Amino acid sequence: MMEVLSPNIERTFDQCAELLRDLTFPTVAAWKQEHPGAKVIGYFPVYAPSEIIHACGMLPVALHGAGDGLELQHADARFGSFICSIVKSTLELAMTDRLAQMDGLLFSTICDSARNLAWVIKRNQPGIYVDFLHLPHNPNGTASHHFLVSEYRRLIGHLEELSGNKVTDEALRNSIAIYNENRRLLSRLYDFRMEHPERLRTWELYVLMRAGNFVPVETHNEWLRGVLEELPGRSGKKRDAIRVVVEGSFCEQPPLDLIKVMEEAGCTIADDDFILGRRWFNADIPVEGDPLMNMAESYQDRSVYSSVRHDFRNPRHKQLLEKVKHAKAQAVVFLTAKFCEPACFDYVLFKKELEAAKIPHLPLEFEEKAYTFDRFRMEVETFVESLLFE
Amino acid sequence: MRYAAGVDVGSTQTKAVIMQDDGHEKKMIATALVDTGANVQKAGGNGFAAACKEAGIAPEQVGYVVGTGYGRYKIQFGNTQMTEISCHARGAHFLFPNTRTVIDMGGQDSKAISIGPEGNVLDFVMNDKCAAGTGRFLGNAADVLAMSLDDMGPFSLKGKNPVKITTVCTVFVESDILSYLAQGKKAEDVLSGVNLAIARRTVSLARRVPVEPAITMTGGVSRNVGMVKALEDVLGVTLQISPLAHFAGAIGAAMYALEKVNEGSEAGNGEGAHAANRGN
Repeated sequence: MMEVLSPNIERTFDQCAELLRDLTFPTVAAWKQEHPGAKVIGYFPVYAPSEIIHACGMLPVALHGAGDGLELQHADARFGSFICSIVKSTLELAMTDRLAQMDGLLFSTICDSARNLAWVIKRNQPGIYVDFLHLPHNPNGTASHHFLVSEYRRLIGHLEELSGNKVTDEALRNSIAIYNENRRLLSRLYDFRMEHPERLRTWELYVLMRAGNFVPVETHNEWLRGVLEELPGRSGKKRDAIRVVVEGSFCEQPPLDLIKVMEEAGCTIADDDFILGRRWFNADIPVEGDPLMNMAESYQDRSVYSSVRHDFRNPRHKQLLEKVKHAKAQAVVFLTAKFCEPACFDYVLFKKELEAAKIPHLPLEFEEKAYTFDRFRMEVETFVESLLFE
Repeated sequence: MRYAAGVDVGSTQTKAVIMQDDGHEKKMIATALVDTGANVQKAGGNGFAAACKEAGIAPEQVGYVVGTGYGRYKIQFGNTQMTEISCHARGAHFLFPNTRTVIDMGGQDSKAISIGPEGNVLDFVMNDKCAAGTGRFLGNAADVLAMSLDDMGPFSLKGKNPVKITTVCTVFVESDILSYLAQGKKAEDVLSGVNLAIARRTVSLARRVPVEPAITMTGGVSRNVGMVKALEDVLGVTLQISPLAHFAGAIGAAMYALEKVNEGSEAGNGEGAHAANRGN
């Protein structure tokens, strides 16, 4: 298991990138070997209550599709051609037994495709425990808090049965504190990248963040602390580039090379929402008090906005403008997965708002599987040129 | 006298243009066209040398060179590279200063570009994973009809009753064409129908950016009179097409290069502003 990453920071990022590409989930296998009998829960993006899974003595592992590493032989026969890549490749992972190390899978109400994926997997793999968390969609009033607490309780009941462990309030508080620490460390890295983009490239931050989805949070925290210590001594070359915010890849993830192409083509990515930065919350979840109520309130009132969480008290198009302003960005790049309905619906909303604020934007659509990026490079370079040479 | 060059290394042909600025007027003084072939780097050099020879100047007199086209990063002697979208926009503006929209239909892709009064790119859109509306599509249709690409345009204009095409898929259109021919439809009506289907698809793509007049068409397909007519029918406007449309990318690149030469002269270093450094 990669308990300790290479002390060479450059090698660290390469190791993380290798981990993302490996569809055998080697860190999960190592964890199971070290914890005989312990269970692993794979969760589909986003807003999964990792703290609950952790407090149950289980390893939460994010399901982020299969990237470009898997040829689809089953999923295309079960889903229409208009379904996004991550849904299909996750089903393919399940049907080719690549999720065999997961003792259960958790989905939530983020979109129709994800909702149906849960039960398509269940139908095709009847032996696996599949659960579904109903996240409330109405943020007004406290009824949603109570509803979400009841959902968490239902989930805990199932997880206790599966793991044989009891989830105590104390264990939940401990897990919340550890995940708070993780989010704070990630936020520090995001702040560093915003301030010194030449010293921490986005692809590096991205692989470091995503690799944390495959290891215990305590291990990830160690990695993050190590990198944060090394970063101030790192140098980087400044380039002619435009500062952008990248928006739209909160669930399905773009190919890593596409992120690199964006940077090479002249974009300094000052902020992004890749897997929501795994931050999910704008502030710490309070540790003291009722842990489940604290989590429910945090989801409802302090979670990072995305196209699958609807909060009309603080509309997300306004939050995007705030994000652009805070990042001192000149433009926004919408990096949306093909057939991602929530992101595509929101594009209209965002586009209108950005045009009114005279902030240029570039829409790009990606699929998990892409091996050449010339077209993307040309589009990004043209966009950069249109701003650099205006 | 200041000189600048634009070199557009395309997949089949390399185009080079020399621009001159005498302080009063910016003038295109030479063009050159060479086959790209297998050695992309050499093609860029050959095109540039041929254009310098045509202009009667030594390559050293050229203050700045901008490379564009798919082989732009192979132009080792150039100062910087820009995309063909930026360059086509600027080139179309040079050829027709009233241009606000560029429709570029090339061999492998088609693009629509919305441009500002100075030829700057405001918005653009490209075809995605589909060759409909490109030279490749028309090439396939020509093959099925056993016709040369050059004959296709004038021949399709004879069609009075264009057929309806089910698909604009480059592969499946063949079935449609064969089916109509088997039904005894006239080849010119079939071709006319193909052009209309492609024109509608291209205009749908173009409408993702504001399609505002005047519209200038560039790219190899602009030489196909049948396709041009179909586009004009669908858009309801006349397209501006220059005999130099083929050089639009190189012209735009040369215009950007000339700007750099002039910026450099004003800054007093005589070598042009430094190139955009996008590298790692």
